[in-house]
Amino acid sequence: MIPVRRRGLLGGGLAVAGLLPLSRFARAQEDQVNIYNWDTYIGSDTLAEFTDATGISVRYDLYASSDELFGKLREGNPGYDVIFPSNNYVERMVAGDMLMPLDHALVPNLKNIAPAFANPSYDPGLKYGAPYTYSLLVIGYRRSAVAEPPTSWAAVFGPDAPVGRVSLPNETDLVRVALKSLGKSLNTEDPADLKAAEELLLEVKRRGVVKMFAPDTGQDLLLSGEVDIAVDWMGDLRQVMAEDDDLNFVVPSEGTVLGIDCMCIPKGAPHPAAAHAFIDFVLRPEVHAAIAEEIQYAIPNQPAVELLPAETRDDPQVYPPADVLAKSEVPAYRGEAAEKLFEDVLTRVLAA
Amino acid sequence: MRNPIGPLEFTRRGWVRLWLLAVFVFLYAPIVILIAFSFNQSRRNIVWTGFTTDWYGRALNNASLIEAFTNSIMIALISTVLSVILGGLLALGLYRFRFPGKPVLDGVAALPIVIPEICLGVALLVFYARVGWPVGLPWPLNLSQVIIGHVVFSFPFVAVVVRARMEGFDRSLEEASKDLGASEWQTFWNVTLPYMKTGLIAGALLAMTLSLDDFVITFFTSGPETITFPVKIYSMVRQSVTPEVNAASTILILFTVLLTVIALKFQKPSEGVG
Amino acid sequence: MENWRRQPWVFATFIGPGTLWLLLFFLLPLGWIWLFAVGEREGPVDIVVTWTLENYREALQPVYLQLFLKTFLIALVSTAICLVVAFPVALAICFAPERYKNVLLLLVILPFWTNMLIRTYAMIAMLRQNGFVNDGIGLLWTGLKYLLTPIGMDGLMGERFAPLPLLYNNTAVVLGIVYVYLPFMVLPLYANLEKLDRSLIEASLDLGASQVRTFFEIIVRLARPGIVSGIILVFIPALGTFLISDLLGGPDSQLIGNVVERQFRAANNLPLGAALSFLLLYLTFLALALRAWFAARAEKADA
Repeated sequence: MIPVRRRGLLGGGLAVAGLLPLSRFARAQEDQVNIYNWDTYIGSDTLAEFTDATGISVRYDLYASSDELFGKLREGNPGYDVIFPSNNYVERMVAGDMLMPLDHALVPNLKNIAPAFANPSYDPGLKYGAPYTYSLLVIGYRRSAVAEPPTSWAAVFGPDAPVGRVSLPNETDLVRVALKSLGKSLNTEDPADLKAAEELLLEVKRRGVVKMFAPDTGQDLLLSGEVDIAVDWMGDLRQVMAEDDDLNFVVPSEGTVLGIDCMCIPKGAPHPAAAHAFIDFVLRPEVHAAIAEEIQYAIPNQPAVELLPAETRDDPQVYPPADVLAKSEVPAYRGEAAEKLFEDVLTRVLAA
Repeated sequence: MRNPIGPLEFTRRGWVRLWLLAVFVFLYAPIVILIAFSFNQSRRNIVWTGFTTDWYGRALNNASLIEAFTNSIMIALISTVLSVILGGLLALGLYRFRFPGKPVLDGVAALPIVIPEICLGVALLVFYARVGWPVGLPWPLNLSQVIIGHVVFSFPFVAVVVRARMEGFDRSLEEASKDLGASEWQTFWNVTLPYMKTGLIAGALLAMTLSLDDFVITFFTSGPETITFPVKIYSMVRQSVTPEVNAASTILILFTVLLTVIALKFQKPSEGVG
Repeated sequence: MENWRRQPWVFATFIGPGTLWLLLFFLLPLGWIWLFAVGEREGPVDIVVTWTLENYREALQPVYLQLFLKTFLIALVSTAICLVVAFPVALAICFAPERYKNVLLLLVILPFWTNMLIRTYAMIAMLRQNGFVNDGIGLLWTGLKYLLTPIGMDGLMGERFAPLPLLYNNTAVVLGIVYVYLPFMVLPLYANLEKLDRSLIEASLDLGASQVRTFFEIIVRLARPGIVSGIILVFIPALGTFLISDLLGGPDSQLIGNVVERQFRAANNLPLGAALSFLLLYLTFLALALRAWFAARAEKADA
């Protein structure tokens, strides 16, 4: 066996030989923080306010999906201080020894995190990440195009689903919601359950229900009238609902996927102190509330939520009631072999 | 009276003109729509809600967008020049010489075209990380990782085009030049190069296009300080295509058209391509 | 063609830089991926080389082979359409008056200096059910129906206009590939046709051959190297397409590029992704090396 080490043969040879300066290490003063986030995922004034409050300047870069983030960091951190991975990637990155534990003493505002999110299964005790937003994978629909508003996954997977008018996600979450619709846990590893989910999806596809397996564009398909039902994230659907009154969504009665995006510090971050300061700043109630107002995502920050206008705070389509949340599950990461079971089902469904 | 259409004046034949028109409509219709939507009030490029020029202000004030844009142009220029030199030389060598292992080199030189971009992207990511490629150099040296990647997948395209061009070359011209006392270099400069020119220009256009448009390989080879336009656009677009992106693209289109017009003005009509 | 020994230094100048670049920045990085293909994952990041053939075995499963075949067919059709569309364009540019040549050439390439993703989104806006193309056809339909009503023939046209499904199917994927790769066909054809000896065409026409016959027997034959390189530059990259099928394709438009992409990213299964990539690589390498070998043999026979 030849182990392929992460730093191989020439391991930093050029740098060690002093041929070329390695300013990643030279630039140690913490007057800067490099943030790597999704697009449209922060308040337009947040960064400027942070610089005003702390004197730390911000470099802000964008990625489009958690797997891009992971791919970019897998061979080592190219210089980022704060990243925003989803819960399953937090677990994956912890397993891959890619995250730095948070120093809770430097993030006193972690106390603001609501109890329901303060000790999550993917990151017990919030050791590695501060929860930033959460969202549910729900059923969006066009009111005028459906006979009656959907209430459960039957609207998508049942016999009455409209032919050629549905868009589904092209990720393993598709397999998870299929499991949910069958009344199973979405974290099952039972081959029989996965087989049943696969058959359900293949059958739905055979009937011609699916217009498209969309790469995170379900909300656009719904808005443009290309489909009448789209399975997508709550926050995305709320953005298009603001443009078209005829659109709505429902949290399926069987429950669904709960996704939590977190603020984490990758190992090798050049400015860890500034990174902690940034995370603590975002968790300030007034800052987190302002972000939530702008990006329209639900936040797990108790005092911040209380600062929100009552119509937002009490809107079940922004802050789902506790009983609805309780039926939903956070996908767990149980190693690559378990992930592969889901991937294989997805491959067979998409390729069929 | 108009002259009758000569046998080789294809551009004056009705069906050729119609064909050209159809192809240009096909090529430009999406561009026209893209420009139109840059004036749309809605955040999404789906429903027309009203006219505005706000997105242009936002795009021009977006410092990181401008930075990405500058990086892209710089990378495209350098990688095009390198690709043309490397591709042109390789094509000439393959055309001119017989040597052991030639079919292998022929095949290997075409591999960057066939390899899935993501595979090359990850390969370069792994490569740079494991040889300890220096990061954080001053601009534009910090673009080296991206430029090297772009040259790897661009220069085989140049080589293929130039090689095809050379197939019809009459080697006796070179012999004649040398018989008349010209050196190897003089022969290359005065005989071979002028013949290659069209192939080199076509190859350069392809290399430029590849570099300006590449997302996957750039994504895996760029760091926090070396974002390019496509990488920026890609991250902005996957969430929702805002008209800001359209506005930025429109500015880019105007910029290239302007450069092109200036370049054409400075070129004497007799010096056509080729 | 001359033997390299006659002028080793000239030979080295020509072949050296490109070969070195390929070795250092292509084959060496690819070496790691090649090792991944015979490795196993140990945790989410580390890959241990165990010389297993399991990944190749998995990559040869029917589900992937079927995708290889579908990808091959789609790439083939797209390349053929590209060739048919591009040839008259390249020809027209070559025979255009000198002052228009550059302008036409730039007009062809200009759209491609706009980001491909944005162009594809604009194409979606154009082709979707309530897009401009369907709206246009719908308008024509309504007008025609209005005209036909007085003569009682409106029944021919059905009750109401049903938008054409122009997106989210394999046709849309082919259209998208043709759009993206068109300049990769036009430019090599142009570079090759441009040096065409016009006296040959004139001679053919003078000797009484028809335009059509001249086209196929003189122009196409002389342009063969250009056609071959155009096909290589369109067909081969089209095999790896994933973005176009992702955005324009329907539920059955998965291509091998999509699977490779997912293995490298969301699935985090680099060994399988590597094995699939290398299968694609081996096949192409074989085809190209065979072509070169045949060419070399033909040359030897000529000499």
